[in-house]
Amino acid sequence: MTSIEGSSQVVENGAVLASFLAAGIGAFAMGLIVILNEAGLFTAPALYGPAGGVSGRTTFAVVIWLIAWAVLHNRWKGRQVDAGRVYTVTLILIALGLLLTFPPVWRLL
Amino acid sequence: MDVRLFSDRSIWTMIHGIVLGGGALMALFAALFYLWAMRPSNASNVAGSTQVRSFAALTVFIAVVLWLAVIIGTYVNFPPYRATPPEGAPDLSRYPRALLQSSPGTAWLHSFAMEIKEHVPWIAAMLATPVAFVAVRYPSKLLSDAPVRRMAATLLVICFVLVAVSTLLGTFINKVAPLD
Repeated sequence: MTSIEGSSQVVENGAVLASFLAAGIGAFAMGLIVILNEAGLFTAPALYGPAGGVSGRTTFAVVIWLIAWAVLHNRWKGRQVDAGRVYTVTLILIALGLLLTFPPVWRLL
Repeated sequence: MDVRLFSDRSIWTMIHGIVLGGGALMALFAALFYLWAMRPSNASNVAGSTQVRSFAALTVFIAVVLWLAVIIGTYVNFPPYRATPPEGAPDLSRYPRALLQSSPGTAWLHSFAMEIKEHVPWIAAMLATPVAFVAVRYPSKLLSDAPVRRMAATLLVICFVLVAVSTLLGTFINKVAPLD
C-alpha cells in the first residue's frame, strides 16, 4: 500500500519535479514524433493495424515519457531542485509539443 | 423486428466522449477548485487529512479516466472511424473519415479536428498523471510548497483546456459523421 508522508516531515522536491518535467518531455516527444512523421523523416510503425500509425506514435511518446520519468526520478529523488527553472522548461516543452501536434504547423513544412 | 436504440459503435463513442471525456472535464474543474480551496492563505487554514485524501483520489480518478479515454478512443473508436469504404460505395455513412473528406465543407473535421484528437488527449493524460502521483505520494509538498502547487495547478489548467477542446472537436465530428 502506498504510504503518504506526514506533513511534519521535510521532503525534498526532486521526485516531484522529476514527474512534472517528465510530463513536459512526454508532451514534446509526442509533438516531435508527429512532426517527424508529417515531414516523412520518421514513421512510427502501426502497432495495431486497424488504428494505423497513431498507435505507434502515441506508444512511442508514452514510452519516452516513462523512460524520462524513471531516469529523472532516479537522479533527482532525495534532492532539492531549482523549481523555477524546471517550471519554465516544463512549460516550454509542453508548448512546443502542442505546437508540433497542431495541423496548420505541419502545412508549413 | 429487433430495433436497437444504440449500436455497439455508438455506445463506445458515448463511453469515450460523454462518460470519460465529460467525466474528466467535471473532475478537472473540481480538482482545480479543490486546489484553490486548500490554498494555505494563513496559518489557521490547514487542509485536513480527509480533504487531502479526497483531492488525491480525485486526481487519480482524472488520470485513470483520461488514460481510459485515450486508449478506448485510439483502439476502439478510431479503427471504425478510419475504415476505408469499398470502391465506388454510394453510401459513406458507415465510413466517417471518408464521409468527412467527401465534402470540402467538412474535410477540416478530419484534417484539423481529428488530427488534433489523435494526439493531444494523450498529452493531457501525461500531464494529469504526475499531478496524481504527487497528490498521492507527496501531498504535504503539494499543500505547503508554493512552486509545486503552482505547477500542479498549471498542469491541471492546461489539461482542462486540452480535454475541453478535444471534447468539443469530437462533438463536431460526431454531429456530422457519427459512428452508428
